Amino acid sequence: MDEDVLTTLKILIIGESGVGKSSLLLRFTDDTFDPELAATIGVDFKVKTISVDGNKAKLAIWDTAGQERFRTLTPSYYRGAQGVILVYDVTRRDTFVKLDNWLNELETYCTRNDIVKMLVGNKIDKENREVDRNEGLKFARKHSMLFIEASAKTCDGVQCAFEELVEKIIQTPGLWESESQNRGVKLSNKEEGYGGGGACGGYCSML
Amino acid sequence: MAAEEKWKGCTSKQHSEAEQAGEKEPCVLLGQQLGEPGRFAYAALCGISLASLFPEEEQSSFRMEFIEGFVKWLDLPDAVLPAMTAFASGLGGEGTETFAQILLKDPTLKENPVVITQDLLSFSLRDGYYDARARVLICHITWLLRIPLEELEVLEESLLESLKEQKEEESETAEVSRKKKERRKKLKRYLLIGLATVGGGTVIGLTGGLAAPLVAAGAATIIGSAGAAALGSTAGIAVMASLFGAAGAGLTGYKMKKRVGAIEEFEFLPLTEGKQLHITIAITGWLCTGKYGSFTAPWSSMLQSSEQYCLAWESKYLMELGNALDTLLNGFVNMMAQEALKFTVLSGIVTALTWPASLLTVASVIDNPWGVCLHRSAEVGKHLAHILLSRQQGKRPVTLIGFSLGARVIYFCLQEMAQEKDSQGIIEDVVLLGAPVEGEAKYWKAITKVVSGRIINGYCRGDWLLGFVYRTSSVQINVAGLQPVDLDDRRMVNMDLSSVVNGHLDYMKQMDTILKAVGIKTKECCPEEKGSGSLFSPPAKKSQRAAGGEAPEEENTMREEDAADGEALPAGRAQHPDAPSCLGGEASLPCPDCSNSGDGKKEAADKGAN
Repeated sequence: MDEDVLTTLKILIIGESGVGKSSLLLRFTDDTFDPELAATIGVDFKVKTISVDGNKAKLAIWDTAGQERFRTLTPSYYRGAQGVILVYDVTRRDTFVKLDNWLNELETYCTRNDIVKMLVGNKIDKENREVDRNEGLKFARKHSMLFIEASAKTCDGVQCAFEELVEKIIQTPGLWESESQNRGVKLSNKEEGYGGGGACGGYCSML
Repeated sequence: MAAEEKWKGCTSKQHSEAEQAGEKEPCVLLGQQLGEPGRFAYAALCGISLASLFPEEEQSSFRMEFIEGFVKWLDLPDAVLPAMTAFASGLGGEGTETFAQILLKDPTLKENPVVITQDLLSFSLRDGYYDARARVLICHITWLLRIPLEELEVLEESLLESLKEQKEEESETAEVSRKKKERRKKLKRYLLIGLATVGGGTVIGLTGGLAAPLVAAGAATIIGSAGAAALGSTAGIAVMASLFGAAGAGLTGYKMKKRVGAIEEFEFLPLTEGKQLHITIAITGWLCTGKYGSFTAPWSSMLQSSEQYCLAWESKYLMELGNALDTLLNGFVNMMAQEALKFTVLSGIVTALTWPASLLTVASVIDNPWGVCLHRSAEVGKHLAHILLSRQQGKRPVTLIGFSLGARVIYFCLQEMAQEKDSQGIIEDVVLLGAPVEGEAKYWKAITKVVSGRIINGYCRGDWLLGFVYRTSSVQINVAGLQPVDLDDRRMVNMDLSSVVNGHLDYMKQMDTILKAVGIKTKECCPEEKGSGSLFSPPAKKSQRAAGGEAPEEENTMREEDAADGEALPAGRAQHPDAPSCLGGEASLPCPDCSNSGDGKKEAADKGAN
């Protein structure tokens, strides 16, 4: 592992089929855009190291399939995630309405309650917008999520979305400190070392 | 045997049926039956399991190769590779349970999850190379899916049968085709349809003819054509040749061409007649006059695989050692020593504190042969390593079991292998009982590299003899056979046999009990029963055996015999309070083992008679 990387964060991308989850990720990691991108099967995985406020963080990003037939697989990825990106399509109201379902699922399967959530309204380059920016903002505020509108095609807001999410995670020490320190440490040694450990909630769920 | 012919007839009939059927509905791989989510979960489960079983850096190429091959095998798009690679590198390990649940819920598997085991087995065998790591993985997945492990044994056996059958069939084919042109045409088509059909046919034939063991496992399991279809995609013969060693002679055919180093004797003796996709090699620690005069004697009840060998090595020196051990233990000295050592034994740890003078005066009796054997066992171990590395045994997993100096042979074999390249994936499990080798974890770390499954260290805290003979041979007091090896690895299993083993000699005498304690499969019969004057069961058996000429009946006979064994135990073994009764766990062995144990029993009977 790289020495100067502060921590490895597990990020999850969820949302309805066709909202552009994989495109957002592709734009973020490879800076490319493919209008004909095939539907994700099961889950996709990418790693990217970014630096936020001088701290380097390695992101392990799991991009889930939105299709209904793969829905059963999604619960397996929630566990241990520190950040989640919830994506909807601003040109399709139904993807916005379904956000409640996704939040429900998140709550059901997520192992920690302080997970950082980011709401992304994708495809703002398109003309036929159906969901207003304010609606998104309101929804995000109501569920205490970060919010941004983005376009994977024009690159608008993509970098920003990931950076803000990571920044917020790093500002929540209980979320990632125990994670990075517990890695590779035997269970029997858990009492040693970090007496003044972070927030209890995050800490306990690790063990 | 009449039954065999009948079976053959049955299979060939089935062949032609299968041939016809094959044209209509070709065998379908599991990969095509499972839905995409199911396949994804299946591959992910394998990836995660690989990462948890073989997290070591040096295993990464195996993990990646396996998962890449597996994604192709399942016909999953390449787009899933990044995720699978991530799973196989140890990320996303939290999802095992969910994936297993999803997989089990798939309609294809709902009634019969065993097809997963079958599919994995076919995948692992596709290149004619059964990697020990693959077998460990299959066992793990089988466990995750709550499938009894016996199913794997049954599948291995039936796959083997179908491969064997294929081989025979084809050599026959060559002969017949010379005579009948017309038939050749037909056969050619038959081959073109794909060996898959042949395999499928055979397996069906097997189910019909050899019924009992397989029916027990559920006929559907065997007929499920995935395995056969898979093997059909490679040439069955090539698979056979590779798996069992091209020369065909295998281990028994191995002869030491020249004197290797200081080794005078080195030979593999077959313990069982059968063939199996994995083999077991047992290594005896010393020889005694009398009942334990042969290398094979202590292992008579072992049935870990239906293909087992015993290593015969340096009998001259091992016999000397055995006699010395006897003298030491049966003589006056023993009493003295026992008395003198009682406190140390009771305290639980044998340390070379102050050995009684009486013992030291006779020390020369044992020290010399012990020293010689200690040296030779290391040499033999190294030699064994090179034989295994050169794949004399074929490309299939090997389990090594040994006690005392035999365990030392294994230890040095593993150490030698660890230094060589391409030494991974050969050894599945190793069992070292009362091993006179160093017990420091750092020395054992190296051998985790070559062992895929478990490293079992069976020790006895009160083994004063081992402590004694080791006192001068080596400075260190950490002896693996006396204490657990403190190695932090999933493979390392320490077993305190103190309650079973009262002294070093018990490793030989109590082998049956020890094997059971350690979790090695054993036959239910006990060789001791012959001489033990069992009240009524032996005559009954004899008559049954005489009557049981034909196979179907014989099978019943076996059952009855087993039952009789169980009933006769208290009477029959009254003289052997130490002899273990049939353990519940062992009694539930899969049926093929029963049929095998039947054979073994006969052998044992013959031996007993001679």
